Amino acid sequence: MSTFFAEYAWLVPVFPFAAFLVLTAMGKGLKKTGAWIGTIATFGSLVLSLCIATERISGNAADYSNQYNWIEIGNMKLTAGFEVTNLSTLMLVIVTLVSFLVNLYSQGYMKNDERISTFFAYVALFTSSMLGLILSDNLLTFFIFWELVGVCSFLLVGFWYHKPEAKAAAKKAFIVTRVGDLGLLIALLLLFWYMPGHALDFTTIHNVFDSQAGVISTGITTLIALLIFLGAVGKSGQFPLHVWLPDAMEGPTPISALIHAATMVAAGVFLVARTFDIFEASQVAMNTVAIVGAFTAIFAATIGLAQNDIKRILAFSTVSQLGYMMLALGVGSVTGAMFHLLTHAFFKALLFLGAGSVIHSVHTQDIREMGGLGSKMKITAWTFGIGALALSGIPPFSGFWSKDAILTAALDKQPILFIVGLVAAFFTALYMARLFFLVFVGKPREGQHAKESPAVMTIPLIVLAVLAIVAGFVETPFNGWLGQWLMGDEAEHHVSGLVMVISAAVGLLGLYIGWLMYVKGTIRRDAVSARVSGLVTLLERKYYIDELYQLIFVKPLQSFGKVLELFDYYVVDGIVRISGYSVSAIGRLNSRLQSGQVQTYALSVLIGIVILIVAIAGRRFW
Amino acid sequence: MEALQTLSWSDTWYLAPELVLSGFTIILVLLELILPKKINRDLIGWLTLVGLLVAGVFVVLLLLSLGNGKEADGFYSLLGGSYRIDDFGNVLKLVFIGAAAFIVFTSLGTIRDEDVPIKGELYYLILPAVLGAMVMSSSGDLITLFVGLELLSITSYVLVASRKKSNLSSEAAFKYVVTGSVASAFILYGMSFLYGLTGGTNVSAIQAGLDNALINSEALLYISFFLMIAGFAVKLALAPFHAWAADVYQGAPTPVTAFLAVVAKGAAFAMLYRIFMNTAFFASEEESMLKNDIFLSLSVLAAAAMIVGTAGALRQRNVKRLLALSGVANAGILLTPLALSLTEMNASMFSEFTYFLIAYAFMNIGAFAVLTIVARDSGNETLSGFAGLYHRAPWTAVAMTILLCSLAGLPVTGGFFGKLFILFATVQSHTYWLGAILLITTVVSYAVYFTFIRQMFMRSGSIDSGLQMTLPTAITIWICTIATLALGFLPVPILEWLDRLFSLPTDLFL
Repeated sequence: MSTFFAEYAWLVPVFPFAAFLVLTAMGKGLKKTGAWIGTIATFGSLVLSLCIATERISGNAADYSNQYNWIEIGNMKLTAGFEVTNLSTLMLVIVTLVSFLVNLYSQGYMKNDERISTFFAYVALFTSSMLGLILSDNLLTFFIFWELVGVCSFLLVGFWYHKPEAKAAAKKAFIVTRVGDLGLLIALLLLFWYMPGHALDFTTIHNVFDSQAGVISTGITTLIALLIFLGAVGKSGQFPLHVWLPDAMEGPTPISALIHAATMVAAGVFLVARTFDIFEASQVAMNTVAIVGAFTAIFAATIGLAQNDIKRILAFSTVSQLGYMMLALGVGSVTGAMFHLLTHAFFKALLFLGAGSVIHSVHTQDIREMGGLGSKMKITAWTFGIGALALSGIPPFSGFWSKDAILTAALDKQPILFIVGLVAAFFTALYMARLFFLVFVGKPREGQHAKESPAVMTIPLIVLAVLAIVAGFVETPFNGWLGQWLMGDEAEHHVSGLVMVISAAVGLLGLYIGWLMYVKGTIRRDAVSARVSGLVTLLERKYYIDELYQLIFVKPLQSFGKVLELFDYYVVDGIVRISGYSVSAIGRLNSRLQSGQVQTYALSVLIGIVILIVAIAGRRFW
Repeated sequence: MEALQTLSWSDTWYLAPELVLSGFTIILVLLELILPKKINRDLIGWLTLVGLLVAGVFVVLLLLSLGNGKEADGFYSLLGGSYRIDDFGNVLKLVFIGAAAFIVFTSLGTIRDEDVPIKGELYYLILPAVLGAMVMSSSGDLITLFVGLELLSITSYVLVASRKKSNLSSEAAFKYVVTGSVASAFILYGMSFLYGLTGGTNVSAIQAGLDNALINSEALLYISFFLMIAGFAVKLALAPFHAWAADVYQGAPTPVTAFLAVVAKGAAFAMLYRIFMNTAFFASEEESMLKNDIFLSLSVLAAAAMIVGTAGALRQRNVKRLLALSGVANAGILLTPLALSLTEMNASMFSEFTYFLIAYAFMNIGAFAVLTIVARDSGNETLSGFAGLYHRAPWTAVAMTILLCSLAGLPVTGGFFGKLFILFATVQSHTYWLGAILLITTVVSYAVYFTFIRQMFMRSGSIDSGLQMTLPTAITIWICTIATLALGFLPVPILEWLDRLFSLPTDLFL
């Protein structure tokens, strides 16, 4: 029952934050040392997180929380503090582990970049904010960190700001997620308004929505839940706010692995899991989450089939897998969602880092220009293969178990959602097969001098590959350890042999068809595009969602902006100019008074007092 | 008439801080005479610092013993109420002593003999000046208050003139003497009316005679209070009585400027609180609007000071003049809690005032310390001296930025919360117009303080070498910066402490 390490949990985000300060202060002089400072700080966080996890796993400890009053105005009280629960411990370990590996990897990947210490500073700030978000014990600080990770994402997507695409992508990522953030902010204000005692901490939220039904009316509960979900939709790239995530791939690849695959985008899932009691209180909200999740899963998976950029395929895959997690939440399985979050963090980080290793070596991102890399980059190929198998849901790799948990939960609730999930799983296997075979199998391209990446890059790949294999065994249909640990109760144990067999079969079928198309050639590659070329174009253009947004949101808003600009120039600026002018007129008057003549000063004293007396006292005796 | 209460030996304990300062002054005056020419006068500076610290320790002890309930009434009255030891006085004394100590500490090593030939005198004259400020915050009698005021003023005149070879300094001192004397005359004239109408110099006696005087000679009471208001307005440099401030601040050596901005101003506020809260506040005869009118005119002065100070600072390029005008605006803010007077809705005026005074002291002393170093380095006191500071001394630039943010009232700093609490007070007492002026001038003041930041970070300076920093100054700058941030991060505990400490009946009303 010890909480020895948990009491020091606040130190976990402090390490990377200190690294951020040092890196920012010392600046460009550090280069290589700077990279190590970031890595070592993250390692410190990792060790402490592991200590906390060990303590909680072995001791079955009670939740630990600590807070202090931040601002008190009247009866209004804002607290700030941290809380260690099993859920947050799991996230701590995931984030620090992936972050540490990505830091290590970046030492190789970013070696020749001029702004390497800036890069590591941003990464450290991101890690720190993300950890702060996880540890927050109330929604307000959660929101602050939520915005901070958004800022870091913006900075890192646009890290190569000399590329116009990177700049545009950074802007897009920021603006699109803002739409969701606005929802979250409104939800926060509503909660503040309706919660007894204006409490915003998760414990009180849990108590109010879990056991005191009726304190907040159903309508408001639904509204709050949907608005929180809107925030999660923005951050986790769910339809219809998914558009920013593929574009965010303009950032350096380690960032795609860390922020846009394993951690930040999962924050939306974490948010819903953390406020799950609100969702449970509203069936409408739960259905919305499930439907949006399932739709995103299949929607993004189909787009993934027709993309040619290695990172974009993985990005759509991320969107799709996050859809699975939302689906799990929507059908009431927090365990399923968090489990998939865990396994996905490992295998998707692995896939991105593997992709980074390939890009690092061949300097292109187009899979049509690659081929036969398997023989030259053995470690990358093997680890990437493991990641692909895990993602495709092939037993016994980790992705199989977590996907199985979600599909089982979906089947229990709503067979249609199960079927949608199954079809998406098939597409997943198919596009991963396409990706893997086009890149690593087949004839090498001419003039390409691919060679294996250095050890700092391959070691993280190997570690992640091992995790991608074994991480699934913490929760299998035969062993519900994770669910029990997370949720505290004996999770219902469905050993559904049928689901296991079907989901494995679907995955294998996807891989087999991919093999037939891209290796064997039994099915021609253009088999589909020759017959229904429109469909392929539709997928390549990502269902024209971006164009649609351009037409219905961006253009009208820009025209509206023009009108506002005119208003701003003539009306607002006019007022500003007038007030500026009057202020400086007072200033000039003041300078005239300050002539340096002490007689003038004394005179001004006299005039001042006379005016004061006449104006204020004089009216009494008039 | 009751017999005069005389001092007894046991009273020395209560007067210990004042006695320590007087003792040190006498010793240091003699020491300065005896010491051979070749001995560095920084020695006197260090001894001055020791004197201030010893006095400070005594004040803290007194504060604690009052807090422990050692005195049944929560205060101790000497000499028939003409001198009193209470929490109001003690907290302010602590602020004055602390501020003076920091100022002396910063000066060590930065004041040059060529500039101030009478360095030793500059140091030890701080002591009687602080003594005067302490008397002003601790008196309940017009006569003692006035003596304190003159002690502070006359020493300040000398301090301003201590750059003996500078025409600017002599001119500033002369102007200060003239306007200061005018102000003293106004105050004294006002006081004499008050004495004539009520028959007492002790404020509690004035309080008692006030109702009678109101009925008989209301007009004369008006004149009396307005004369005092005018005098204090000059001392506090409230617009339009502030014209002297810029000239005097510019001419004086920088540490003395900081002293004027913090200690002299704070002491004048203390005296104003003592007199007005005990007299005008009780002029509550039903027919008469006197009380309302007086507090209204204080509000008007506060508003005028905020507007004129901020607008004037916009046009200044000389940093000392700029800070003088910023001080005018801040005096307006400091006056606001008093001008709001006491209402049922707003009973925490003293905490608001003191909180902002403490924040104001830290940010000003810090800013003046930075200015001392920068001016010494660049050879002039204009804004351009700050150009490119970030590239030469990044840490100093960061500290200065924090101090400026506090002056501008940006979160999370002491200045922000100080202004915020005062803004709340204006809202609570429904004086929305004053709150609006506070807000608007704050916004305008961003333009003033951001000129510094622009210079420091975005301009390149003519000097490439690093900044020459002395250790005491560096320590002062950082203590002030950290304190400014601490006030911003822990506003509630400090405000609560002040609230707990201060109770109206024992600490302000006699």
